[in-house]
Amino acid sequence: MKGISLSAIMSVAYKEFLHIYRDRRVLLLLLILPPLFTLLFGHAFENTQLTDVPALLINRDDTPRTARFVDIILKDKTFQWRKPGPGFNGDSDLLANGVKASLVIPAGWSETLDSGDPKPLPLYLDDSDTNTATTVEGAMQQNLANFQAKERDLIVESLPDEVIELGKKLPINIRKQFVSLMSAWGVETKNLYNPKSRFIDYVLPGIIGLILQLLTVTLMACTIARERESGTLYQLMVTSLKRGEIVIGKILPYLAVSIFLIVVVSSVASWHFQVRFYQPPALALICLLFLLCSLGLGLLISAFSRTQTEAIQFSVFFLLPVFVLSGAFAPLEQLPKAIRYISEIFPLTHFCRAFRLVNMYHAAASLYVVDLVVLLAGALITFAGAAFFLKRIEQ
Amino acid sequence: MNEPVIVLNQLSKSFGDVHAVQNVSLTIEPGTIFGFLGANGAGKTTTMRMLCGLIHPTSGMATIAGNDIWKDRQVARTKFGYVAQRFSLYPDLTVEENFRFFGGACRVPAAELEKRITRSLSLTDLEKKRDTPAGSLSGGMRQLLALGCALIHDPPLLFLDEPTSGLDPVHRQQIWNLLYDLSNDGKTIFVTTHYMDEAERCTGVGFLEAGRLLANASPRALKASFRAKLLELDIEPIMPALVRLRNLPEVLGVSLRSGGLRIYAPDPEKLLANWRAQWPFPDLNLLGERWVEPDMEDVFTAYSQGYVELLKGSAS
Repeated sequence: MKGISLSAIMSVAYKEFLHIYRDRRVLLLLLILPPLFTLLFGHAFENTQLTDVPALLINRDDTPRTARFVDIILKDKTFQWRKPGPGFNGDSDLLANGVKASLVIPAGWSETLDSGDPKPLPLYLDDSDTNTATTVEGAMQQNLANFQAKERDLIVESLPDEVIELGKKLPINIRKQFVSLMSAWGVETKNLYNPKSRFIDYVLPGIIGLILQLLTVTLMACTIARERESGTLYQLMVTSLKRGEIVIGKILPYLAVSIFLIVVVSSVASWHFQVRFYQPPALALICLLFLLCSLGLGLLISAFSRTQTEAIQFSVFFLLPVFVLSGAFAPLEQLPKAIRYISEIFPLTHFCRAFRLVNMYHAAASLYVVDLVVLLAGALITFAGAAFFLKRIEQ
Repeated sequence: MNEPVIVLNQLSKSFGDVHAVQNVSLTIEPGTIFGFLGANGAGKTTTMRMLCGLIHPTSGMATIAGNDIWKDRQVARTKFGYVAQRFSLYPDLTVEENFRFFGGACRVPAAELEKRITRSLSLTDLEKKRDTPAGSLSGGMRQLLALGCALIHDPPLLFLDEPTSGLDPVHRQQIWNLLYDLSNDGKTIFVTTHYMDEAERCTGVGFLEAGRLLANASPRALKASFRAKLLELDIEPIMPALVRLRNLPEVLGVSLRSGGLRIYAPDPEKLLANWRAQWPFPDLNLLGERWVEPDMEDVFTAYSQGYVELLKGSAS
C-alpha cells in the first residue's frame, strides 16, 4: 500500500459520488426505500398474535351446557367462527368449506361429560401451515380448559350438603390438597430485556441489515462490474491509479451513503416507533464493522463478475439465504442445529446478535466482542479477496 | 531525444493455443506517427494492450522510454496516454468532469490541473461542451474527448486504438489534424487503423498479420517494395469481368478502383501480351489499359492476402 495518494483517492471517490448522484432512479430508491421499509416492517411485525382464523363450528348437541361452551369459544379472537351454511360440504372438507379448522360438537356430548366418560371433541385442522395448526390447537385446548374450570365451579356450587359434610370430616392436609387441585396452577412471568414486549425493538437490526445488504451490496457489486462492462476499467488501469486507490475511492461514497441510510432508519425507528438507543457509540461501532463487511462483500462480488447482470445475480444468490437464515426476523433457535452453523458465516447474524446484546440486553462488551471480531475478519477477508480478484484480471 | 520511445523485442502473447502475437520486434523513434496495420484479429489490440501493461506478455519484452512495460508499468504509464477502441469514458460525467477525473487519476498536481483542463478543452475544441454529459456527445466529439483525457497529463507518447473507426470524414480530419499538431510538438503517436488513407498519413507503418510483423517501413518504402507497377484495365461490363478475371489461375486477385480493374498477378506483362494477342472473353469489351503506382491499399492487400510474388522480398 505504499505511495497511496489521498488526492487520487478523492478523485475516484468524487467520480463515484457523481455516478450515484446522476443516477436519479438509484438516488430515489436510496431516499425512499429505507424509511418506507422501516415503517412497513415495523408495523408488519408489530403484532405476532394469530387472529381471525376462519373456522367452522358444527354444533349437533343443543343443550344449555354446550351453549355455555359455545359462548366461550365465540369470544376467542383467534377464531372467526362460521356456522354450516347451505354450501356445507361435510365435517372434514376444510378447503370446500373455506376454513382452516372445523370443530364438531357431536350429539350427546354434554351427556358424556356427566356420565364419567367425557368424549373428545373432533377438531379438523389445516396442517399445511404447521404454525397456524399448532396455534389453533393450543387455543382450543385453552378454551376447553376454561370451560372445564367454569363447569367445575358450577358442579362444586351445586354439590349436595351431604358431600360438603363428608368433606369436612377429611383431615385438614387432604382438604388443602383438594383446594389446591381445584385452582389453576400458573407461572408468574417477569419479562426481561424487552419489558413492553415490543417486536420492533427486536426486529430493528434486521431492518437495518436488510436495507443495507439489499442496497449497499448490490450497488457496490455493480461498481467495478459496470466499469468492466463499459471498458472504462482498462482506461482506469492505464492511469497512474493503484488498485488500493481505486478500491478505497470506490468504497468511500458508498460508506457515506450507508451511514446516511443507518441514520435515516434509526431516526424513523426513534420518532415513529419510539425505539430508544442504548450506548450509541457501541451501536455505531457495530454498524460500521457490519457496513465494511457488506461493502467488502459487494466489492468481492464486483471483482469476479464480468457484467452488472452477473453482479446482481450473485448478490441475490447470496442475499436470499442470508435473509432467511440470519435470525434477522425470527430467532435462530427455530433453526436446526446444523443450519445454525451455516448462519454463523453470515455477517448479518453477528450484526443482529451484537446489536440486540447492546440495545436490548445492555450487555457488557465481553459478551459481543466475538461478533465484532467476526465482522472485522469478514471485512478484511472480503477486501483481500476483492484485491486478489482485481489483481487477477490485470493479467 | 535520440533514444527510441518504444522498443519491442521478440514480444509474444498466447491465449492457450492461440498465438495472438508472435515474436514482434520493433523500434519507434520519438516524433514518429506509427501506423499499426492489420486485419481484425491480427493482434493489433493485443500488442497495444501489452504495451499499456494491461496484459502480461507470454515471452519477449518491451520498453517505453526505457521502462519495462510489465515490471515498471506504473512508471511506464506516466509516459503515455491511451485511447481505447470502444468509447471508454464516463457517459454520466460532463466533459469537464471527465477531464478532471483523469487529471486526478494521472496525478496531475492540483496547482496545474485547471491549466491542463483548459488546454485539453481548447485542443479538442470542446469549450462549448464543457458542461455536457459525455454520453450526449456525438461520436466524433466523444473521440476528441477521449483524446483530451489521454493528453491530460501531457505524456510524450500516445496510444490510439482505431481512433477514427465509424467517424465521419470531417471528424476524422479533425482528429488527424490534432495528431499532426501533437507530432509537431514532438509527441510520438502509435495508432492502429485499417483505413488505408490513414496509413498514408503515418511516417512509419508496421504491418501485422496473424500475430506476425510482416513489414515495418515508411509508407513510401512499402509501396516501393512492389516489384513492378500494377496493371489496371477498363472492361465493359465490369462486374462479370471482375469475377472471371479473379478466377483465372495466373491472376492472384482483382480489385475494383474508380471504375477500373486492378490486377494482382506475378507476371502482368506476359498476361497483357497474351491478352493483346488473343482476348479470351468475346462477350467482354477491353476498352483500355494502364500501369499504375501501387498505393497503401495495394500494400495492405498484398500483405494480408499473402501475394508475396508481387513483392521484391522482405521489406524492412
